[in-house]
Amino acid sequence: MSQATLSHKRPLGLTILITAFIVVWVILAAFPFFWTVWGSFKVEPDFFSRESWWNAIFGVYTQRQNDGSAFTGSGYYGAWVTREFWRAVGNTAIVTVSVTVISLTLGTLGGYALARSGQRYAFWILILALVFRAMPHITLVSGYLLPFFQLNIWGVLPTSIIVLVAINQPFTLWMLHSFFLSIPKDLDESAMVDGCSRFEAFRRVIIPVMWPGVVTTGLFSFLLAYNDFAVTSMLLSADNQTMVPKISSFLGSVQEQGNVMFAVAAVVSATVPLFILVLFFQRQIVSGLTAGAVKG
Amino acid sequence: MAQIRLKNVSKRWNNFVGVDNFNLDIADQEFLVLLGPSGCGKTTTMRMIAGLEEITEGEIWIGDRLVNKLEPKDRDISMVFQSYGLYPNMTVYENIRFPLKVRKVPQEQHHERVMAASKMVELDDFLQRRPAALSGGQRQRVALARAIVREPNAFLMDEPLSNLDAKLRVSTRAQIKNLHHTLKRTTIYVTHDQIEAMTLADRVVVMNKGLVQQVGTPMEIYDRPANTFVASFIGSPAMNLIQGSIEGGVFTASGIRIEGLTSVAKGPVTLGFRAEDATLADSNGQIEAPIYTVELLGEATMLSMRVAGELVSIKVGKDYRAEIGDMARVAIPAAACHLFDHSTGARIA
Ligand SMILES: Nc1ncnc2c1ncn2[C@@H]1O[C@H](COP(=O)(O)OP(=O)(O)OP(=O)(O)O)[C@@H](O)[C@H]1O
Ligand SMILES: [Mg+2]
Repeated sequence: MSQATLSHKRPLGLTILITAFIVVWVILAAFPFFWTVWGSFKVEPDFFSRESWWNAIFGVYTQRQNDGSAFTGSGYYGAWVTREFWRAVGNTAIVTVSVTVISLTLGTLGGYALARSGQRYAFWILILALVFRAMPHITLVSGYLLPFFQLNIWGVLPTSIIVLVAINQPFTLWMLHSFFLSIPKDLDESAMVDGCSRFEAFRRVIIPVMWPGVVTTGLFSFLLAYNDFAVTSMLLSADNQTMVPKISSFLGSVQEQGNVMFAVAAVVSATVPLFILVLFFQRQIVSGLTAGAVKG
Repeated sequence: MAQIRLKNVSKRWNNFVGVDNFNLDIADQEFLVLLGPSGCGKTTTMRMIAGLEEITEGEIWIGDRLVNKLEPKDRDISMVFQSYGLYPNMTVYENIRFPLKVRKVPQEQHHERVMAASKMVELDDFLQRRPAALSGGQRQRVALARAIVREPNAFLMDEPLSNLDAKLRVSTRAQIKNLHHTLKRTTIYVTHDQIEAMTLADRVVVMNKGLVQQVGTPMEIYDRPANTFVASFIGSPAMNLIQGSIEGGVFTASGIRIEGLTSVAKGPVTLGFRAEDATLADSNGQIEAPIYTVELLGEATMLSMRVAGELVSIKVGKDYRAEIGDMARVAIPAAACHLFDHSTGARIA
């Protein structure tokens, strides 16, 4: 009701302007994605047609190859079954979950300690972390490559998990540190007087209040691991590839027809979990990003 | 059982001295009030006793245990924080119950004890709310309830009434006094409100700038302030202090002359007397000066006059009427006068 009265008051010109802006913005932001989803159900001569881009919409070649149907699941079949994309999905799941869990465990403990310590070196640790964060990822990887070969730990998942955690940790530390700073010290102190040890106070009182911050930081860690290309493409053998380097390998070998369509189908498959994730944690993320003062 | 002893306790941050060489024996079941202006180190002292602040120097004993190195949880005290320290994610009920839960009090006692504690501070109607949905005074009462829900060695309360309105403050004050009588626990209570200190305390510790100024019963502190700081801090209005000089038991300053003092001191001193000890005189008073203001208080009238450069308050009968600028004569009995050292402010007589 209040919205109705609001839009009544607004001048027509402004309403049109706002609507037009939103429409343009949605098209700009969402169109590439919808285009990809649509195209993933076509064959390559349609989606990458040289004759007319209308082919990508109507699927002329797709109909010809498919007994009249304008849609085909062949891209998905090729990616998931023929080229075993599910392996990459499994690897990605292992890598992202491990990176997120390890980063969050170290990050909450470390961030809490740094936020409450009050010692001078806490500040320098944070600055040092920032320096490491600022370095391009690839410097870490190229530095590690040779020792990893020699130690014979190149190509396996745990190695890239460790490297990704190392890259991600400064960020989680900073982020969680500032979340902890926004929680009044009185809370820990009340809890300790009430009978908690320092760690119990952390677990029973601080973390429940911190939850949105933990979820937000966890999501960022998750996305870092999920989207990483630099580390995983250099440090994983072909058998152990995660999704992103796997998709890139679909693109790389262009001898076979349909390979590009495998990549397109895989890209779409890789995006779906992200949507679900964001929808699921929406509330915590928003309150995590806007969290500031915690009312005591 | 739970007497608390502080031996030469000091707290320093780099060069800043928060609490300096604090010595005190607090008897079991005593109600001790720490009183002093803002920033004098009251909270710091309390936090050191609770174990939340590291002690730079000295020893703290609770019962027969040296607790310097003991975690707060092992000191078995409960505390009401100046800023409440309530758990925002828990309801009032859960907040009050929390100490029982952590200290592993048998489950079946929880409900009864939470209800008893919340009843004492009249919180029954708010048990299912979160702290964010409470007023400052209600939050303070939750903090109080959480402290009294278990039976610790000692209660530490940091200005637990500061956010209550005048009426609730008086009734909660009475509740705390009664609670102390019922629970019989050593209680250390911080306030900068001297009326609270006077009404609640068995003994008062007056502090200023990290230093203990005086320790004594409320009456001792009121009747025999140890120095000019305590004299000017306790009582409303505060004690009148006049700089002058004394010789042969006669104090003089411009506009004032008091004879018959027993002190044998000689030279510059500070003289103090309370507004209610002075009376109006018809002739030969000790002060003769024009009236500066007249304030009607209802039960009395407060005159102020300028004597020796200071504004001096005199409490007179409620029917007294005079105009500003009228001359008034005031009698001050020599027995009601306090003498303080001119430079250190310490009491001489
Ligand atoms: N962590 C700290 N670092 C440096 N100085 C501090 C610290 N904590 C307190 N102080 C200083 O110590 C002094 C005493 O502080 P404290 O909190 O004990 O005052 P208080 O008597 O409780 O005052 P109030 O009545 O305003 O609560 C203050 O001057 C304060 O600035
Ligand atoms: Mg204080």
